[in-house]
Amino acid sequence: MMKTYETTIIFDPGLEEARINEEVDRVSQSIAQASGEIVEVQRWGKRKLAYNIRKRRDGTYIHIKHKSPPELIGEMDRKFRLNEGVLRHLTVLAVKISPRAAEEAARAAEAAASGVAPPPAPSYIEERD
Amino acid sequence: MAREGESRSFRRKFCKLCFDKVDRIDYKDDRRLTRFITDRGKIVPRRISGTCARHQSQITEAVKRARILALLPFTSEQYR
Repeated sequence: MMKTYETTIIFDPGLEEARINEEVDRVSQSIAQASGEIVEVQRWGKRKLAYNIRKRRDGTYIHIKHKSPPELIGEMDRKFRLNEGVLRHLTVLAVKISPRAAEEAARAAEAAASGVAPPPAPSYIEERD
Repeated sequence: MAREGESRSFRRKFCKLCFDKVDRIDYKDDRRLTRFITDRGKIVPRRISGTCARHQSQITEAVKRARILALLPFTSEQYR
């Protein structure tokens, strides 16, 4: 059983780009090895932290959306905690857009494209993957 | 003495997120979330912000996640 997760990792700002790419590759590999799948990798780049973590004021943010077996998450968490280059990490279940909400969104986009007023409020129904 | 409902004029509070038709508030959207925290970094209660129950619980979850990722402060700098 695969679930869709969002993992955000904050790396030490001192790490070079190559090192970060290497780390991201390592994560991707472990997901692939567990027969998971990478949906999307976002690089937010260097950002100011809202508070200092290990005396660092900035962090390099990487956001990965992936489909993985739940057993992998604990393992991933353990690896991040042992990794000195990782300041902070968070994995949460990605919110799946319910079919009805997706349909409404598609209809809204269509209506916007054709220049007609958008349909009534979108449904708040959601499902967790 | 002005008591509630006597001489003060009232403006009905409404949920700003419902007004904007927000389906789901995201923990990554720190710019939007900053509107729902005080200058001390506390989550603004519903009775102040007028947010509906559904959106308030989404805000609470999102703010807590954003704090872990240092997108939002647990507490503001000057009070530490």
